[in-house]
Amino acid sequence: MAAKKRERLEVIRDIILTISRNRGIKPTRLLYASNLSPQMFKEYISELIEKKFITLEIDKKEKKFFTLTKKGQDFIQEYKVIENFIESFGL
Amino acid sequence: MEIQNFILGNSELFRIIYGLVIGLICMTIFLKTDKFFKLSFHEGIRYFRNAFFFYGLAFIVRYFLGVLLVPSVDYLIILILFEYFIVLAGFSLFYSLIWKRFHFSNSSVFNSKMIFFHIIALTIALLDAFFIIGNFMFYSQIIIFSCASIIAYKNYTKNKKQKFSKFYFIAMFLELFAWIFNLITVSIFEHNPLLLFNIGIINVIFFLLILCGVLKITKNGCKKT
Repeated sequence: MAAKKRERLEVIRDIILTISRNRGIKPTRLLYASNLSPQMFKEYISELIEKKFITLEIDKKEKKFFTLTKKGQDFIQEYKVIENFIESFGL
Repeated sequence: MEIQNFILGNSELFRIIYGLVIGLICMTIFLKTDKFFKLSFHEGIRYFRNAFFFYGLAFIVRYFLGVLLVPSVDYLIILILFEYFIVLAGFSLFYSLIWKRFHFSNSSVFNSKMIFFHIIALTIALLDAFFIIGNFMFYSQIIIFSCASIIAYKNYTKNKKQKFSKFYFIAMFLELFAWIFNLITVSIFEHNPLLLFNIGIINVIFFLLILCGVLKITKNGCKKT
């Protein structure tokens, strides 16, 4: 049975939740966890960084990792409400 | 009879209050959903907000500014602006329900679909002004709300767990009825002021239903956080 295709908002929620559960998650690990193609992953990550939901940082060993911004944390808290709003109005 | 005379005798005051009330309801809906849009950039929410932004502008222009500025401003300009905003609002509301089937790129208020809506809305407003009738606006809104009512009903039957989806369908159907009633009032009853007053009440109920839904959902969100 084929898995149901995720909506854009669900994908964003999954990425942000993964980052919130793993402090300082590396890009490769996030890619595997997101269950996206590398191309789609890159597009989503670019959008999330551009819209300031997440940031890409570099540690002392020059390793890259993603962290959540305040806006990203707000998104997690509000996600259920947004989802409820979208379903209520059929948007 | 006394109430009728009171309404007819103070029609300008009622028009101003009507415009302000609906304008305020629409702006509240627009502002209350701001956070949702900024967090999600969901296209459905974008067009939903656009709709109530334009509805608010339409009613404030026609019933508030229209009463205060006439005769210094040509009433025809007020009517053209009113029709333009109202038709645009109708398209935006309808598109908020069907955007997934047509979405191809990142959008803004002036993306290709909105430009199409702007052109159609302006065409309808100018046609009505040219022919000095409001029928093009009525027909466009009747078609839009017929389709929107069907989609809202389908959404309700698919998702009965969502209590508000039933009220959203009722709101859409109510507004469809208001537009049909409005066309009949203008075409057959020669703009009977009391019938128009009743249509105004239906409009207020429509906007209040939407506002109640928005406030209820955002209030629940605040409680959880």
